[in-house]
Amino acid sequence: MVTASISLRGVGRTFGATRALAGVDLDLKPGVTGLLGPNGAGKTTLLRLLATALPPSQGQVSVLGLDPEVPAERTGIRRHLGYQPQETGFPRGFTAFAFVDYIALLKEQSQPAARHAEVRRVLDLVGLGGLGAKRIRAMSGGQRRRVSLAQALLGSPAVLILDEPTTGVDPEQRVVLRAVLAELARTSVVVLSTHQTEDVAALCERVIVLDRGRVRYDGPVTELTGQAAGRVWLADEPDPAAKVSWRTGTGRYRNVGGRVRDDVEHVEPSLEDAYLLLRGGSPEHEPAQEVAS
Amino acid sequence: MTATLAFGPPATSPGRATFTALAIRETRRLVLNPVFLFAVAFITFALWAGPDAGQTEIDTANPYPAIFLGGFGMMATYWLTRSMRASEPVVGVTPITLPARTAALCAVAIVPFGYGCLALIAFLHFHSASDPAYGAFSPSARIAVVAGQIVVPALGGPLLGVALGRWVRFPGAALVLFLVLWSWVSLVTVVAGSHPDSAPVAVLRLFAGFTFFALHSDAGGVTAWRGSPWFFIGWQLALCAIAVLVALLRGAEGRVRTRIIRALGIAGVAALILLVLAAAGGFTHPVTA
Repeated sequence: MVTASISLRGVGRTFGATRALAGVDLDLKPGVTGLLGPNGAGKTTLLRLLATALPPSQGQVSVLGLDPEVPAERTGIRRHLGYQPQETGFPRGFTAFAFVDYIALLKEQSQPAARHAEVRRVLDLVGLGGLGAKRIRAMSGGQRRRVSLAQALLGSPAVLILDEPTTGVDPEQRVVLRAVLAELARTSVVVLSTHQTEDVAALCERVIVLDRGRVRYDGPVTELTGQAAGRVWLADEPDPAAKVSWRTGTGRYRNVGGRVRDDVEHVEPSLEDAYLLLRGGSPEHEPAQEVAS
Repeated sequence: MTATLAFGPPATSPGRATFTALAIRETRRLVLNPVFLFAVAFITFALWAGPDAGQTEIDTANPYPAIFLGGFGMMATYWLTRSMRASEPVVGVTPITLPARTAALCAVAIVPFGYGCLALIAFLHFHSASDPAYGAFSPSARIAVVAGQIVVPALGGPLLGVALGRWVRFPGAALVLFLVLWSWVSLVTVVAGSHPDSAPVAVLRLFAGFTFFALHSDAGGVTAWRGSPWFFIGWQLALCAIAVLVALLRGAEGRVRTRIIRALGIAGVAALILLVLAAAGGFTHPVTA
């Protein structure tokens, strides 16, 4: 009997001279954890480490109490793992059903009837129940993304790692996806990386913000959002004192951070506001750190 | 919140049922491959059409299975092996290890091998082992000659395709290798024709996955060349084993990797010995009958 959990201690990962992750300590339990951060922050590297696709350069990773560095234990982890990478290529000529069925076979579901039923179940979950016979190459980007998600959901894995699962997915499907993940997260560790803060706000109990390979924030979503309380306001003009301002659909300007004045109309902060504040109001890409020589 | 789940015991190898199901799946993909289908169709047509009238040597007909089942089979399995490369981020984190998936791919070679056996039977039906077109070889050696030219290449080519697919990224690698092998066999055959009594040339001729053992003489009759057809089959099978082991080596870790490397060493030594025996055995000089 093993607890569904993930533990990282002092985990780092370098690619040549580039340090993608450094000194990451995390403990993940069943529930949905969101991973936020700018491009190049190390999110995908962290997810690949959790998915046993990549070994760490430093530190220790434990998934389900097993060590992914040990081949037999890695196989043990993979038996309970679902992984949707950031980009999935598909073999030529495969239909959605055939591809997911092939992956199900690789997940040791050798009984055809049970496997086919499971494939149909996950395709239904992602809204592709009626498109199983369609060739993947003929599908839209969002549909392909859902095929990739379907294979990750096979067998209701104890650990589900999703790298930008909602990219290119329409709003209705995103809502359905949230429901699916919330249900799975009752017993499974679900980690999802995304640039969509609204997905994290709607789904995750916990959020981890990565920045240049380091954990910048790790805690409840509500707590992070709370940090922006009183620091977001609406005004008729962009406030020079704000760190970030933009024109909203109402024609007024949303100002975040900076020196707060009393004569403004404060509004409820969103997770995006809090994230921008945490990032110092800088949404731009910051490259990964170079390893000190 | 912490849930307690029961996880299965760690194991590195898939169950027999999973492996069998995967091998069957890959086999189905091979038999639907257009290149392989074309190869089978061509061989079927060639066998159905039977021998040309007035054929005086077997060598005009027996390269076809090697070219189509072996060469085209190699290209088909190369494509099959490479086809999942784009999905490797997903496929690579499943419990089935890369060597196990490779083994399932190698298992598909049973199809061209089986068809090669049928082709051999058909060939022997049209070219009986007592046919003078075989030259001076004994009846058993005649069987060995055609088995080494028809059946073993049909097995080895697809296995080579899997090994190539595991290690080489260039999409046209199988075609290039096919042309290289074909050119090599053509070259050494021409050289052997002009130097039939040369021992080094005999070694060069046998240093291939396919070779000719006899040549129709312009002066009439068939000249049987140096070399032992039986040991040549042993050499070919050693090459097949090397192809499988090289393919399995990709992604192998720990003790499995150590065992594969050890087996590769043994297969390499065996191949070398069998090549020497193939060159030293059989006729020591060309014999025209």
